[in-house]
Amino acid sequence: MNVAEKTRFIERDSLIGKRIVKMDAPEKIEGKTRYIHDISLPGQLHGKILRSARVHARIKCIDVSAARALPGVHAVITAADLPHQRPIGVARDHFPLKGDKVRSQRDEIAAVAADTEEIATQALKLIKVEYEDLPILSDPRDALRPGAVLIHPEPQFAGAGQEQLKKGAPVAYTGKSDNVAMRFDYGHGDVAQGEAESDVVVEDTFQLHYVTHCCMGVSGIIAEFDASGNLLMYSNTQVPFLHKREFADYLDMDPARIRIIQPPIGGGFGSKLDIYPFEVICVFLAKAARRPVKLLFTREEEFLASPTRQPVLLTLRSGCKKDGTLTFRQVNTLHDNGAYTSWGATTPFVMMQTFSSLYRVPHCDYHTVAVYTNNPYAGSFRGYGNLQATFAIEQHMDMLAEAIGMDPFEFRLKNAQEAGEVTGQGMSFKSCGFKDCLNTVATRSDYQGKRKANEAQQKAPGAIKRGIGMASMLHVGGGAKIYPSDGCGTILKLDDFAHVTLITGASEIGQGSETVLSQLVCEELGLPMSAVTVVNNDTAITPWDVGVHASRTTFIAGNSAIGAAKKAKIKILAAAAKKFECAESDLDLRGGWVIKAGTGEALIDLPRLLRSLHFTDKAELVMTTFYYEPPSVHQDKGYKGDVSAAYAWATQAVEVEVDTETGIVRMVKVTAAHDVGRVLNRLGIEGQIEGGMVMGQGYALTENLMIENGVMKNPNFRDYKLVTAPEIPEMDISFIESMDGEGPQGAKGVGEAPAICIAAATANAIYNATGVRMFGLPFTPERVYRALHGEAEKLSWKPQ
Amino acid sequence: MDIQHYLAPSSLGQALDCLAAGDVTILAGGTDVMPQSQAGKLQFKRTLMNVRRIPELIGIAAQGKELCIGALTTITELMDNALVQRHLPVLADACNHFASDQIRNAATLGGNICNASPAGDTLIPLLVLDARIELASRTNGKLNWRSLPLAEFFTGPGRTRRAPNELLVGVRIPLPGPGRAAWFHKSGTRPALDISTISIGIAGTLRQGTLSDVRVAFGAVAPTVVRAPRTERALEGKRLDSGTIAQVAQIARDEVKPIDDVRASAWYRKELIHNMTKRMLDHVADA
Amino acid sequence: MSLMHDIDFTLNGVRRSATVRVDMSALDMLRDVVGLTGTKYGCGEGECGACTVLVDGLSVNSCLMFAVDCDGREVVTIEGLVEDPASTRAAALRDAFVGHGAVQCGFCTPGMMVQASHLLDKHPHADEAGIKRGIEGNICRCTGYKKIVDAIVDVSRQERGAGK
Repeated sequence: MNVAEKTRFIERDSLIGKRIVKMDAPEKIEGKTRYIHDISLPGQLHGKILRSARVHARIKCIDVSAARALPGVHAVITAADLPHQRPIGVARDHFPLKGDKVRSQRDEIAAVAADTEEIATQALKLIKVEYEDLPILSDPRDALRPGAVLIHPEPQFAGAGQEQLKKGAPVAYTGKSDNVAMRFDYGHGDVAQGEAESDVVVEDTFQLHYVTHCCMGVSGIIAEFDASGNLLMYSNTQVPFLHKREFADYLDMDPARIRIIQPPIGGGFGSKLDIYPFEVICVFLAKAARRPVKLLFTREEEFLASPTRQPVLLTLRSGCKKDGTLTFRQVNTLHDNGAYTSWGATTPFVMMQTFSSLYRVPHCDYHTVAVYTNNPYAGSFRGYGNLQATFAIEQHMDMLAEAIGMDPFEFRLKNAQEAGEVTGQGMSFKSCGFKDCLNTVATRSDYQGKRKANEAQQKAPGAIKRGIGMASMLHVGGGAKIYPSDGCGTILKLDDFAHVTLITGASEIGQGSETVLSQLVCEELGLPMSAVTVVNNDTAITPWDVGVHASRTTFIAGNSAIGAAKKAKIKILAAAAKKFECAESDLDLRGGWVIKAGTGEALIDLPRLLRSLHFTDKAELVMTTFYYEPPSVHQDKGYKGDVSAAYAWATQAVEVEVDTETGIVRMVKVTAAHDVGRVLNRLGIEGQIEGGMVMGQGYALTENLMIENGVMKNPNFRDYKLVTAPEIPEMDISFIESMDGEGPQGAKGVGEAPAICIAAATANAIYNATGVRMFGLPFTPERVYRALHGEAEKLSWKPQ
Repeated sequence: MDIQHYLAPSSLGQALDCLAAGDVTILAGGTDVMPQSQAGKLQFKRTLMNVRRIPELIGIAAQGKELCIGALTTITELMDNALVQRHLPVLADACNHFASDQIRNAATLGGNICNASPAGDTLIPLLVLDARIELASRTNGKLNWRSLPLAEFFTGPGRTRRAPNELLVGVRIPLPGPGRAAWFHKSGTRPALDISTISIGIAGTLRQGTLSDVRVAFGAVAPTVVRAPRTERALEGKRLDSGTIAQVAQIARDEVKPIDDVRASAWYRKELIHNMTKRMLDHVADA
Repeated sequence: MSLMHDIDFTLNGVRRSATVRVDMSALDMLRDVVGLTGTKYGCGEGECGACTVLVDGLSVNSCLMFAVDCDGREVVTIEGLVEDPASTRAAALRDAFVGHGAVQCGFCTPGMMVQASHLLDKHPHADEAGIKRGIEGNICRCTGYKKIVDAIVDVSRQERGAGK
């Protein structure tokens, strides 16, 4: 006789929008997480790099004999030992080990692998290098003048083969007859017409400075060849699959024999999107020494040898009609490309989107050139050029409004786009919370009232002035179709106990992707967060993803994970429908059970159903895969096209206090509204916004990488000031849920957004407080003081 | 230079014998020695001597009309000490703007003095408080003591009048009399963890809106921390009205001769000296 | 050849000895000689706090401390802090850091935890401003500090409520 089982009903519940704790937080808190610095392989050696003592010089000779002879040294390599070395980087102008010339302070000349770090460091000191100095080119404005010293005039390899000299061959093999690294030219509409229609035109030159990522974990890599010659790298790259392919290229290896494992990362922010010399060098050391080699940066090296944010000299000419309609933008920018080309040179791709499409602009013209100099090179950094572009655009929005006597908020609202609009660059705004962002911020910060009150106090007695400034931003929120694929793959398996293994190509760089992806899968399968294990860090196991950049992971990897989960759900419900002899549409998954969709009545717990699927004659496991490619398009040759599957907006109002007797600007409060499509993990997204805003605060107020004649003057935390806890502003954050149709549960990307418009809003706030507008960053005390007291020179630059 | 000997003496006598033998790098909290040696700015001598366990260097006590502070007193201990808070609040205040909690817990007053930074945060209040330092040495078995005003101790950035065989044992500060007050200002964007762009110390006997027996010290505007005699003379005995204050601020600006460096330009430092001296004196006048 | 020196100290409640290079930092000793990698190298110059440990009950930057100076002292690292069954504070801090979302990349977190523990020891009634000052020597690049401060404020309130 059966004991009657009481009928259970499972209540509806959702994980979406909840505060979900980060899955790896406990082990990180307890110090148990093993970052790359904490990993040691048996038999490993320590690698160290000898960097240039000069900024620009011919290398006459390198003598490594004393270093090679030092006990404990297993390998010393220079360019001479690597005749088949290939150039790396976007323009292939960069050999990892330099043999002909050094072109910047961080240039790598030799590398050592030794038993200990101390011996490796000692060995470096024994390497003798003779240089012949060359003139230093450190001002990008001089790079295109006649007679300017050329940074890459000749092939970098003596005796480069004839076939390598053919047209289109890498710069490292051909040399260049000028200092132009890259050019971009964009236009939509007709700016001459736009200017003719304008009642007001303003033109200014803005200067955006060098800052750097300062990830708390310094760069490092471990390289090991196994007995069959396969290469294993422990790497913090944000683009493991691209890396695999590029390494195969540089090493002339079959990509199938390269495996990358990604240990937890001590911060990324875009710093790990390119291939860097130290990585290739470490692999060569491992090859030469026939032992695993671990190479870690010191903090000083991290400053010297990491890519920076792209510095930009920007001249913007904008106009509007007296009724407040924007008419045109004409932009010219000069990018200091540094000695070698990395992703910084491609920031115009992103800057273009802001120039052409942040607010409705009928006519837009943008020209830029990146020039070689002997300065450090720029890479990709959270925001990727958008901070620089927004700094200029949003100051002109204030200036245009003032010129026509319109309230700056009203002016912005009038020109803000709405859902359904397509911009001149072809970006289609399917979900758009722009106006909601503006309205929310204006209301919550009391922008209009405060702005007027502060303005009235500008000339009043008292050294401390308050100001409020507003700025908005537009950024891709649904991936960015710049590679042949912008997709991500997921493999999902459920075991006999309904524990899910989520294998995703998307890496985790501290932003919590593993948690949000698990959240999306659990939502689909009606399981608790504890039911998921994530595997995301081994190219031998995980499916392809283009990488963590462009704020794409939640959107793309999220849709990929949902796709795999949906397939699993279909399979599960099909089996359950058969078992309970009903339609699949009568069933659902909730709380770890298969339930009746209408009533919530629990029919069978998921583990039992899965086991019943498995342990039968027609045994089946629930394992699914899904590759999500977003429905965006590649831009055409004119850079036009709907490059992302969704776009995101934010508005921020920054309130400052300016001490006019010291120039110290204190950021008192930031009121922000972010169009995120939909809040998935409320805890995680708040963390991204708060962290991004403070990064923006650093860009605006405290961080300044000082380069003089190619030499970095402050490669340390003592003199490169990151924001510390007592300096953070009060933060009021609102989320606008525009529910994007393509986004996972309606969500859009947000990783870069919060950092993007802080500096612009701060500039507007300082103007509101003091009546003085600052056209260059950063707003450090002396620079602000000089501007307030008429001691700052106003830049004016036009391209030649 | 590789270190050949390491010792951690447990008495002043032991330490002085070691110093007498010569070629010694002294280690106290390590907060300057460690980063400087790693950066190649400091070459270790043949012997590394850890002075952290010498009892004669420890303690804060009132002795007669003076407060005696042992060289091993950490910045935290200084800041938290009841006697310092009561009698020398300006010193406790300066300590509160020093580096970070972690560094304050390890850095010693003696180390900070001997490091002789031109921007030393504790040095400014010590100067305006008329601090004297005590040095000890041993020659031919005989213990020698030497005391000199802190104002005479610094000869250049990182350089002092301490002889190689001498150990800084402590600091003596006269207990301020009635009506005596002192103020400290450090310019920077952070409450602490900043090398000051400029710093200012002012002390005087405040009576009916007039400061007398004035001391003024500036940091980060010269190769060492310095007293400002012209500024002191301009303040001495004058009524603190807006005219006097404006004049004193102007003289302060003219008196200092800072340099340009990675942190600030000479021009800006002079502006800050002017503006902040004025602000401090306005504050004193309002009190 | 660098001079080596033997030291005897208490690490996470357990007496032990170590032989260290005389010019070695306490941080390098903990990571490379003892093998406890929870304490991190962030800058090596005392500016970031990632290397914070407790020595005789006070928080210090282990990158600035000489390993030989650990002799005769009591050192506690993050591993010891969280393993101490007697410490309800460590558990409370851990739960608060998790619950408030105070961890992203996590690299600064061990240093923050140790500093937070010491801060609450010394200032049990610290308010938000006091807590921000208390962690001014710990740099975080990911979180913007807000949730870290919230977590520590939370524990401070809990302890006050429990009449500590």
